[in-house]
Amino acid sequence: MEEFKPVKVEKWDQNAVRIAMDDAAKKAVLEKGYEENFFLVDSRLIICTTALLFALFALLWDFLHPFPASQTVLIICVGSYFLLMGVLTLHVNFREKNIFLVAHQKDPVGTEPDTVWSLSSTMLKYDKNYTLTITVTNNNQTRSASFTKCVGDVFDENGVLLYDKYEPMILELHDSIDSGKKKK
Amino acid sequence: MEMFDDLKRMNKRQVYYQVLNFGMIIASALMIWKGMMVVTGSESPIVVVLSGSMEPAFYRGDLLFLANDRSDPIRAGEIVVFKIEGRDIPIVHRVIKVHETHEGKIKFLTKGDNNEVDDRGLYKPGQLWVEKQHVVGRARGFLPYVGMVTIIMNDYPKLKYAVLGLLGIFVLIHRE
Repeated sequence: MEEFKPVKVEKWDQNAVRIAMDDAAKKAVLEKGYEENFFLVDSRLIICTTALLFALFALLWDFLHPFPASQTVLIICVGSYFLLMGVLTLHVNFREKNIFLVAHQKDPVGTEPDTVWSLSSTMLKYDKNYTLTITVTNNNQTRSASFTKCVGDVFDENGVLLYDKYEPMILELHDSIDSGKKKK
Repeated sequence: MEMFDDLKRMNKRQVYYQVLNFGMIIASALMIWKGMMVVTGSESPIVVVLSGSMEPAFYRGDLLFLANDRSDPIRAGEIVVFKIEGRDIPIVHRVIKVHETHEGKIKFLTKGDNNEVDDRGLYKPGQLWVEKQHVVGRARGFLPYVGMVTIIMNDYPKLKYAVLGLLGIFVLIHRE
């Protein structure tokens, strides 16, 4: 569903600004025809869903067999829930690490394994600088590059993201580490 | 409203994550409550004092932390929280008389410090004593005034729904 409405955000809401820039970078890279890989996001969703299932089970059991009969079941479920919350925190902080896109560039001939691109971003609190990092892994070689931009360069005064201005910057960053397999 | 633009731009996974996020906030609160139930041994680990019958020890609006150690014998002078059959609301009063058998079966009489008479008027018709199974717990700690919020929310239920509704919408829409 590709409707191109210019993105407008509350320019003082740092979080919205960062998400808008993430989305733009994602769009620019995916437009190259790469396939998005949802593994990281899906793992996070699965951990959350499992935790919620434990919580629901605990609630249901306690409702059907009121406390104190439900004590053992409650201990197991509550413990599992908080354990999974811990796992979630570890996952988000150590595996996801601000990565918001993982995409596969399929080899047109189909003989070589996919090249994997990933994008991550950071933005310090109360700082107007947004840092985008792009990483590419190809045949066990990994390269990455990043740039830091002041958000004022890419947004106008009303908070509209100037995609036409931002896209070339993203593509340039991408091309700087592209392995140079000329496909076009 | 621009608040909804964020929502419109989300894809399926992000919408699911927002719902999960909302669910996790509620689940965390409930799991903490259930966890406290298990740790304290009481089915209602935190109660709000609703009447002035225990003044000057407890005032209306105080928050009480309960623990229910079934192996610790109930003695006269202790403040217990108990439920009468057929009534939802637990009562927080002091034990004034105890009858106990060798096996530990116990019958006790309660009275609010600030009341003229004992609680027999409050018990179920025909019930003269409170027994161990009616006990929800004993007061082990308290916070003054904090429970007033609950009392206000219960007296004006529309306020409760309005606050919860707004919080819910906010969490579902706001990304991150």
